Amino acid sequence: MSARTGVLTEGRELRIVGFLCNWCSYGGADTAGVARFEQPTDLRIIRVPCSGRIDPLFIMRALVSGADGVLVSGCHPRDCHYAEGNYYARRRLELLKQFLPITGIDPQRFEYTWVSASEGARWQDVVTKFTNRIHDLGPAPRMQGGSGYDELCLKQIEEGVKQGAACPCHKERAL
Amino acid sequence: MSTLEQLKEQIRKALPDLDVVIGWEQGYDAMHATPLFIREEADIDRLIWSPLCVHSLGTYLTGLTKSSKVQKVGLVVKGCDSRAIVQLTQERMIPRENVTLFGVGCSGCLSHARLEYKVEQGGHYVEDMHAITFNGDKVEVAVDGGVESFDFDTVCLEKCLTCRFPNAIATEHFAGEEVPVAPKREKAPSLEAFEKLPLDERFAFWQDQMRRCVRCYACRNTCPMCVCRDHCISTSRNPHWVSQEASTAENFMFQMIHTMHLAGRCIECGECQRACPVDLPIMLFRRTMVHAVKDTFNYVSGADPEATPPLLTFKAEEDNINERGW
Amino acid sequence: MRIGVFVCHCGSNIAATVDCPSVAEAAKLFPDVVFATDTMYACSEPGQDGIIQAIKEHRLDGCVVASCSPRMHEPTFRRALERAGLNRYMLEMANIREHVSWIGKNKELNTGKATELVRIAAEKLRLNTPLFANQFDVTKRVLVIGGGVAGIQAALDCADAGIQVIMVERETSIGGKMAKLDKTFPTVDCSSCILGPKMVDVAQHPNITLYAASEVEEISGYVGNFDVKVRRKATYVNWASCTGCGLCMEKCPSKKSHDAFNEGVATTTAINIPFPQAIPKKAAINPEFCMKLQKGKCGVCAKVCPTKCIDFEQQDTIVSEKVGAIVAATGYDLFDWTVYGQYGAGRYPDVVTSLQYERMMNASGPTSGHIQRPSDGREPKRVVFIQCVGSRDKSVNRPYCSGFCCMYTAKQAVLTKDHIPDSDSYVFYMDIRSPGKGYDEFTRRAQEQYGVQYVRGRVSMVYPKGDVLVVRGADTLAGTQVEVEADLVVLAVGVEASKGAAHLAEKLRISYDQYGFFMESHPKLKPVETNTAGVYLAGCSQGPKDIPTSVGQGSAAAAKVLTLFAKDKLESDPQVSSVNQNRCVGCLKCTMTCPFGAIKDVKDRAGNTKAEVIETVCQGCGICTVTCPHGAIQLQHFTDNQILAEVNALCQPELEF
Ligand SMILES: Cc1cc2nc3c(=O)[nH]c(=O)nc-3n(C[C@H](O)[C@H](O)[C@H](O)COP(=O)(O)OP(=O)(O)OC[C@H]3O[C@@H](n4cnc5c(N)ncnc54)[C@H](O)[C@@H]3O)c2cc1C
Ligand code: SF4
Ligand code: SF4
Ligand code: SF4
Ligand code: SF4
Ligand code: SF4
Repeated sequence: MSARTGVLTEGRELRIVGFLCNWCSYGGADTAGVARFEQPTDLRIIRVPCSGRIDPLFIMRALVSGADGVLVSGCHPRDCHYAEGNYYARRRLELLKQFLPITGIDPQRFEYTWVSASEGARWQDVVTKFTNRIHDLGPAPRMQGGSGYDELCLKQIEEGVKQGAACPCHKERAL
Repeated sequence: MSTLEQLKEQIRKALPDLDVVIGWEQGYDAMHATPLFIREEADIDRLIWSPLCVHSLGTYLTGLTKSSKVQKVGLVVKGCDSRAIVQLTQERMIPRENVTLFGVGCSGCLSHARLEYKVEQGGHYVEDMHAITFNGDKVEVAVDGGVESFDFDTVCLEKCLTCRFPNAIATEHFAGEEVPVAPKREKAPSLEAFEKLPLDERFAFWQDQMRRCVRCYACRNTCPMCVCRDHCISTSRNPHWVSQEASTAENFMFQMIHTMHLAGRCIECGECQRACPVDLPIMLFRRTMVHAVKDTFNYVSGADPEATPPLLTFKAEEDNINERGW
Repeated sequence: MRIGVFVCHCGSNIAATVDCPSVAEAAKLFPDVVFATDTMYACSEPGQDGIIQAIKEHRLDGCVVASCSPRMHEPTFRRALERAGLNRYMLEMANIREHVSWIGKNKELNTGKATELVRIAAEKLRLNTPLFANQFDVTKRVLVIGGGVAGIQAALDCADAGIQVIMVERETSIGGKMAKLDKTFPTVDCSSCILGPKMVDVAQHPNITLYAASEVEEISGYVGNFDVKVRRKATYVNWASCTGCGLCMEKCPSKKSHDAFNEGVATTTAINIPFPQAIPKKAAINPEFCMKLQKGKCGVCAKVCPTKCIDFEQQDTIVSEKVGAIVAATGYDLFDWTVYGQYGAGRYPDVVTSLQYERMMNASGPTSGHIQRPSDGREPKRVVFIQCVGSRDKSVNRPYCSGFCCMYTAKQAVLTKDHIPDSDSYVFYMDIRSPGKGYDEFTRRAQEQYGVQYVRGRVSMVYPKGDVLVVRGADTLAGTQVEVEADLVVLAVGVEASKGAAHLAEKLRISYDQYGFFMESHPKLKPVETNTAGVYLAGCSQGPKDIPTSVGQGSAAAAKVLTLFAKDKLESDPQVSSVNQNRCVGCLKCTMTCPFGAIKDVKDRAGNTKAEVIETVCQGCGICTVTCPHGAIQLQHFTDNQILAEVNALCQPELEF
């Protein structure tokens, strides 16, 4: 029925997960709705009380499980309903952002930003730009397969042996 | 007096007030050292100190000091090991007053993995190595009746190449001379090499590597900073972050949890990777996080007992985080 | 669990671009969903009745309402659930109006999205548990810290409403800065004539206990139940018997004591009552200057005191008070103007601060209201005022405007003319900021009626020439350099938070900015609240403001206190964090990041440290939950597992429907 994860055909949706704080950004998304600011439909929003509630591992979990993009939005610095939540969030999320490239996951697939409850137009802009960005990147690669010597692995070993390479388990030994 | 003799002397003096002192002794063969638990004076004779003493003994600490009767524990620490203690102190994870540190200066430890690789490359069997001597910049290994000599830099632990803390810090005792701080590299060569790969190749690399993880949790259990023990969220149901499904994605998720939980805490001891039975290069993750923390918060973990770890505090105006415009 | 799903059409608001019946149809296949329907207006009477009926009929344990934003109608549907006998937290909402139907036109995509949002909500609901609010008692007493005009106002309003007030003032008299002022803008009425009666009211009010010469030592507890320790500093005078007769002052031989009340314009005696209208009117010894306390010789005051209340052995004492709310009204202090070396501040005696000038003009001040040059006592004929000294100046890290300096400078220039009719006044200013009732008219009057010369520009330096001072600056309007010879230079010194404000904020567990001003909960909508429940702000402690605004805030803070005390019991929101003591290792990292001090450390039976959330203080942000690596502290209603269920509902590939 709806567009499926990871399958890109013309006009199909990609899987984009949003984590929004209740007080500012969720309100901002509401404001955008009230103003009928049209946006791409891919984004699915998960509401949390505060950006300080957003564990970077939620984002990691989403990306590992098949999200093509994750967008986080909270109150602007100094405006946190809980005074300090977004300050902690900023530190945690920034580290995640800087860490992502080493995993091979494109850091462009994750973004965090600040949108207040009144900034409906800004929210529209953020969603549109982010969704377009994810579509430009296309579906995210997925970690596949089971653990250990599953079929995929055996196939690779077979190929490796054919080409005269050693068992893949030892090839990085000297790193 | 040699460093070892001084160390023994210090331990001898302190032992009556301590329940146990943990150091190293000769292991099951000439090539290995292993942790030594000194409970009586006679045990002290078995203590050794050499580049074979790779183990970060701090990892025993959270278990020991939390045990029912509070113990007074002594610990022999190299520079990197001492950082673990400092960081644990910062986080109030150990009752520091019950811990006595015997510090040494360290000129680098042996990487068994690198050495074995070299020995194998030379056409020998690893099992045939029967003696090792550390001779300044050289390492000499007796193998197959002959002697193979290597530059120490080519067979030391990778962390030793970038080490900025060769001397134990914040210790009660210190044995021997201080070793000059002289990092040979800015960044770990493996990380430097890996960072040259484009994103898709990196992803493919991890796809390939993570499949091999046997989820033994050795990396976690050996990590001196992993203090949760029975309560690690990677193996709990509430919260339930990782499914027990044996899949590449879940193995990878576990590594992400470990890395994120070590953000601003990891002291780059490299024990996690050394412990991995299937040799996964997981220090690439840890080191990247360490660099991110340093670049963003100018914070080095385990360097200052008074410092607040970066994720437990914030600045209203961050120095190095640029708010991204839209 | 038995879940019911209600998909609202909202007339055509949703139904125009979302196929509601098919969303409901799809929802029937979700785990634990036993009933799903679409409904025209879920929030209307019949809509709510429909939900209630379905709950009863299908023995539902929880409901998903897919409709408008939860920020709109969550309370409505929670009440409906309660009416049906369910716990209010067994509701989840899917926002398919603001987040779906109103922002996209493609009905197919919208319908798919709406279905997934319902799916997320249902998955979360499966992990919801009933939550119950706790009730607790309120101690209906209030602590007011700081006895300036703002604190006085707050105290009197509360006391008049029948509330017991504890007022703690650091100095030996209340009154704050206003007590030092001569006249007040824009009406130019006598400051002590309007403040004096209020001070007396404080002293005489049966509901007010005043601790002067005291400071807050320690605060624990939480809204409704604070425990406060007050340090009453040694004054070396037994205040219970001191009558304020002032004989001691007359006889005290140490006459060169620093006179803080007069801003150092004159000196006073070691034992003194700061000013005649002081409240309480009690003498206190300044130990730094007392010969008996310093050298062991003298004791004249003890001999002359008719009630024998001098006690050189007196020690600080600590008193404990229980209160339910706290008003912080600690006001401001002047910026350290001596950093402006180029103005000769602190070096040339004839360069004085605005507050010193107030004392020099004040009829009850050391010069009995005669304006004299500190250097030679001569009456100045030309007075130059320099504005923004320590305000709006990034180079001294004071980028903000101190708010009232423009106004009081105009006032002081006007008063100078009144005192010395043949004098000239010059004001160097950056902008004239006079927004307020009658304020702009006042500054204009100063210029037009009193002939005060306003020069727009910064002063670059002040230097002595003979027995006058030369003020050199730019006139940016004329585009020239100007030099004015002055007999007296008055610096309109900017204000900063009162000394020790940051320290007090830590005790109160409220935030403060980099200048020490206390942070309000919301800059617009909660200007006197703080993020710590039960702690309110008044006056300049929150930022520079003039007397009318300070008084207004004092009353506002009192209103907040009274609102809080209007209930006999407070109810705590159950959406708070809670610690799984089995998992908690007692590292107390969570206590470091909680902005509200809502987590305390306790010992379990085995003596191990554990964290415990004070439910009444916790605001439910969940910062702690992310801090704890073991997942030991979980925010109820937003637990890790609940959010993970939502993520998994979205991101697992097997979720084809
Ligand atoms: C030169 C000058 C002239 C002015 N003229 C005018 C004017 O004409 N009209 C006008 O509207 N405004 C005028 N103002 C502004 C006016 O002074 C303030 O608006 C007003 O005083 C603010 O009152 P407050 O109660 O907030 O603070 P304050 O008057 O500063 O009172 C704070 C009180 O708290 C006490 N305190 C501080 N810290 C502690 C602590 N830790 N524990 C216990 N007690 C503590 C202090 O001792 C003080 O008594 C003038 C200001 C200046 C500098
Ligand atoms: S993550 Fe690895 S390198 Fe970091 S502290 Fe733990 S064991 Fe050491
Ligand atoms: S990975 Fe995290 S939860 Fe697990 S033991 Fe380490 S710090 Fe604790
Ligand atoms: S030690 Fe290696 S195999 Fe074991 S869990 Fe860690 S990464 Fe996986
Ligand atoms: S709840 Fe977590 S962070 Fe808090 S003290 Fe317990 S283990 Fe530490
Ligand atoms: S949720 Fe946690 S951090 Fe937030 S107020 Fe409650 S206890 Fe403090």
